[in-house]
Parts: sequence; structure tokens; C-alpha cells
Amino acid sequence: MPSPEIHIALIKRLQQGDKSALLGLYDAYSKALYGIVIRICEREDLAQDVLQESFLKIWQKIDSYDADKGRFYTWAYRIAKNTALNAVRKSASLIQTDDLSVYTDKTVDLPTDYSELNGMLKKLEPHHQRAIELVYFKGLTHREAHEEMDVPLGTFKSYVRQALSQLRKAYPKGVLLWLWLVEMIGHG
Amino acid sequence: MDKKKILEDGLLEQYLLGELDAETRQGVAAALANDMDLRAQFDALEEDFERIAFENAVEPPKKVRDALAASITDTTEETPVRTLSNTNTQRNTGFWVAASVAAVVAFGAVWMYNQWQASEENLKALETQTAALQERLSNLEANYEETASRYQQINNTNVVPLLLMGNEKSPSSKATAYVNHQTKEVILNAKGLRVLDKDHTYQMWADVEGEMINMGLVKTDEDYIILRYIDHAESLNITIEPAGGNDHPTVENLISNVVL
Repeated sequence: MPSPEIHIALIKRLQQGDKSALLGLYDAYSKALYGIVIRICEREDLAQDVLQESFLKIWQKIDSYDADKGRFYTWAYRIAKNTALNAVRKSASLIQTDDLSVYTDKTVDLPTDYSELNGMLKKLEPHHQRAIELVYFKGLTHREAHEEMDVPLGTFKSYVRQALSQLRKAYPKGVLLWLWLVEMIGHG
Repeated sequence: MDKKKILEDGLLEQYLLGELDAETRQGVAAALANDMDLRAQFDALEEDFERIAFENAVEPPKKVRDALAASITDTTEETPVRTLSNTNTQRNTGFWVAASVAAVVAFGAVWMYNQWQASEENLKALETQTAALQERLSNLEANYEETASRYQQINNTNVVPLLLMGNEKSPSSKATAYVNHQTKEVILNAKGLRVLDKDHTYQMWADVEGEMINMGLVKTDEDYIILRYIDHAESLNITIEPAGGNDHPTVENLISNVVL
């Protein structure tokens, strides 16, 4: 994850009108945001347009970002998610009005399979993993996601809470293990 | 907004994901600003959320960065100015013709440049307006989806509507509960309840084999309150309790009940 000091400086520069800082923020956050956008769009060409549009919106709206209210990534994620959902909706409505005789097979454009999740999420039970995937990586609301999983909303919310609580417990240990490994390698 | 409700209803997660309507969002933001413990929980949630995203990051193609760089590059370059040489040339007619043409071209270039600048500004203003309109449309869509979802929750053949009339303690009060035993949801319209002073609140209870189980607090200014569904409830009961709610019902302050 990017260092908070560096990204705070970049955000300040961008708020002061230094456009080059946008590319700094792009370098720091584009991979994480593209990971979200590609999973929502499920099409590389659309996801690339959405990523570029998202960063242009970040530039236009940077004055409304307030660090006291939360992390930059959370703020940028909301922009990227909404941009991606709008693009998917627009793209779906265009396909519906297309002449079917000239409609080409969409599977040709399907990107590499990004459906598999990585990191600590892989260690969760499948239903917990699915709950996080639906709301974090597919952009579904809790209400849409509980229908998708076919469980009551309360149960779905508890899946999300249980999953997050397990991640919270797992992360500090993961970080310690990583530090230990670095230490061991350092001492060769 | 009540901290317990925020945590139990998963509002913190939904706030982070940008799913909440404006009113609930403001309620959660205010609670976060005033409660250090809640804020610490939100900070941890954001940190984990960001970490998950970075663990699942995907490298975008370089052309996206290039296109972004090109779109933010300042295209307003200075018009180059050529200095005239100081050599003593014969200022003949040809020279004046050439000078006039150059002046016209230069004037035309400046005029074109100004026009182009004005168009750029108009385009930027239009882009801003479009972005604002798109945002309004997204908000309207979100509001519509919320309303449609509420309507579906209430207008459903599995939903049993129950009228809770006030007893002699509050004869003018009435509320409507919508109970769905299939999805295990209870929604209450409490607009008809008499408004209480700030030291008191209404609270709803389910009677299960004689034991009153808390279903949640009832605000009188809301027409859509989601309450806890309790299995095997035989009746629903509303009592008046001290602000913040009570662990056990004050039965003498029971103002309405209905048998399920």
C-alpha cells in the first residue's frame, strides 16, 4: 500500500493545481482500482476507459476530498465503482438496442480470468469470500448481494461482518510473519 | 445515530462502500466525528479494505497512463514570437505588402487562439455540468431503487400488515407493522405515534412464551423503520422507555399491542 505521507503530499499538490500530482496518485492507486474496475466491467476495453475516466473525475473533484473523513483510497474507490457501474449499465443498454444481426460474440473480448481472489481472502470460508467479493469487487449493494447469494439480508450482513473480523485477526499476524521472513532473509 | 444500530446493521461497511442514502450517511458521519471508538473501528475497516484491494490489484496497460497524461497536459502553449532583425533594409512597396500580410496573419492567429481558448472554457464548463448531471442522475436512480425496494418489501403477498392502535394511555396513536415471516423482516411505519419529549422513546418488543424480547427503538418521525424479527413471536408490543431504550420493557407504559 502507498505510504500515507507521500499520498497526502500528492493530494495537496493536486488540490493546489499541480496536475502532475495526478500521475503520482495514478502510479500509487491505479493497480488497486483497476483490480476493482476490471472485475465489475468484465471487459478490458471498457475497464481501461473507466479507469481513465475515474482519474479524470478524481482530478475534477479533488477539492471535495476531506482527509478527516476517511482514506483517499476509499474516496477514490467510490468514484471508480460508480463510474464502472454506470459504464456497464450504459454498455448493456446499447447492446439491447443493437441490431442482433450485427451483434458480435462478446466472449471474444473477455479478459484473463480475474475472478479468483488473492491474499488473505483466499483463506476465508467460501461463503465469507463470496460475500466480500460481491460487495467489494462486484459493486453490488448489500440488498442486491443477499439476493444473489439467496440468504436473508441480516444473514448476509453477518457474513460480511464475520469475514471482516476474521481478516482483522489475520492481518496483523500476516504482517508479523512477513516482517519475520524479511528479517530472516536479511540475516541470510 | 445510535452506535449500536450502526454496528449491528452493518452501516459502517455500507458507509464505506458509499451505499447509504444521504440522511443515513450524514447520521453515520456525525457519529464517526463524535465517537472515537467508532472512528477507530472505521479506520481499521478502511485499512483492511485497502489492503484487500492491493492484494487483488491488477496492472493496467501502460496506454491508460499515457492517455491520462495526454488528457491533462496543458495544451495552451505560448505563441512563439519572432524578433525582427535590425538590418537597414529598403522599405519598398513589397516590404509593406509582406508586412501587411504578416500583420493580418498574426491578427488572425491571435483571434483564432482566443476563439479556441473560449471554446476550451465552454467545453470544460459543459463537462462540469455533465458530471454534475450524471451525479444527480445517479442519486435519483439510487433514491428510486431504494423506494422501489421499500415498496416491494411492503407490497408483497408474504407480508402481514398489522395495525397497532394506541390504548387509553395514548388513544390518538397508531402505527402499522409489516411482518414478513418468509424473509424474517419487520418494518414499522411510526408516523402516527404521538411525539414524545426528548427524554423518552418508543421501544418495540416481541412476546415469546411470555418473555418480552427487544425488537428495537421506534422513532416517531420515520415511516420506514426496520426492526429485528423475532422467531415464534406471539404478539408485538410498544412501550414508552427512557431515551436510549431499556433492557426490559416498562409494562405499565405499554401503549399498544397486537396479536400475531
